[in-house]
Amino acid sequence: MALPHIFEVSWPDPTKLGVDSKSAAILLNEARETFAGHLGVRSDEISFLGEPALGFHLGISGLLNESNRLVYSNIDRMEVFAIAEGHPNLALKVSDVGQNDYSVLKNSDVATLQLCNRETGTIQKSRPENCAGLFVDATGSGTRISLPKNWSTALWDSTSWAGPGGLGILAVSKEAKWQNPLPHLDGRINPGPTSLPLIVASALAIDSWVADEKNLAEKISALNQEIRNFISTRIPDSDLAPGEASHLISASFLYINAEQLVTVLADKGFAVDSGSACNATNMQPSHVLAALGILTQGNIRLTIHHATTFEDVKNFLEVLEATISELRA
Amino acid sequence: MEILDCLGKRCPLPIIELAKALANKGVGAQITLLSDDPASQPDLIAWARMTGNVVKTLDPKTFEVTKLTN
Repeated sequence: MALPHIFEVSWPDPTKLGVDSKSAAILLNEARETFAGHLGVRSDEISFLGEPALGFHLGISGLLNESNRLVYSNIDRMEVFAIAEGHPNLALKVSDVGQNDYSVLKNSDVATLQLCNRETGTIQKSRPENCAGLFVDATGSGTRISLPKNWSTALWDSTSWAGPGGLGILAVSKEAKWQNPLPHLDGRINPGPTSLPLIVASALAIDSWVADEKNLAEKISALNQEIRNFISTRIPDSDLAPGEASHLISASFLYINAEQLVTVLADKGFAVDSGSACNATNMQPSHVLAALGILTQGNIRLTIHHATTFEDVKNFLEVLEATISELRA
Repeated sequence: MEILDCLGKRCPLPIIELAKALANKGVGAQITLLSDDPASQPDLIAWARMTGNVVKTLDPKTFEVTKLTN
């Protein structure tokens, strides 16, 4: 189904009566089933969010009461830090390879688990056990890593499977002790409604993404290895963040202004992000890089997409090497 | 001890100027670096690890740097 067609058929309100609304409701239910299948949750545990980041508040605050402590990680998303400020909390400090030690957890704690850091690709291998509630941040891992059995709430971002932006998926387990932290009159989790065309488009995207991912996993790992080898052997004074996710790489270069580097790379046709302070709206360096002890200056974040080719990577690395030596001169 | 004042200078300037100031000095040379850039503290630790030098944070804006490698 092409995007213009999705907009044509999904304009009616699926909650109303009438033939058009009924077909819209069918589309919504099909999408819900599609997501449930790929994400490993029940379809009636899923809510769609027009503001993906709101899912942190819904997912975490809904598990907390006055007596719980929130145990989170110092490489969690800033949204988690903001929620922690309003509650008793403990920020775990990751090891130099980004791992948390959850042995301090008490039965009454609510814990967060970031399956994969979307900035560095750091995959969390340890799992919080025996806690009162567990929020899983799957915004960096998408469909790549399955939920632990004891999850209470979980959040995904549609862009993880190359779906449209502006769509989050929140799952609240039927077994979770969860209360809606937003003012509400009925059982709906978000005030809604969330754009049905975006939901349908994202469901189509996740289907094709999962099929492609299987075929392309080997290529993406090989590209990742090539980039890492090149940077560590050919570019002096470089620092690679520890990360096992094959589609993400975060690299920093001494004596480089990230803003200049990102701008030059953009001029040459390569869109990269940066965790350096000069590239951030708040002028603060990435808290993730700082927590991992990785250089924050001259940082670039690379995402390897399904369509990325060996040719693209070869061209990029040549341009990167030349640009860094020019900027350092 | 020589003082390198980088107050008000944004990342990556303090570390670039530090490297320049150390370039012509021998092993064992020390410099006190003043920097109020929020990236300086994490980056000096990373710089020391990457280059084999030593940085001691005296306060959030004052760093004692000892050159250990050429």
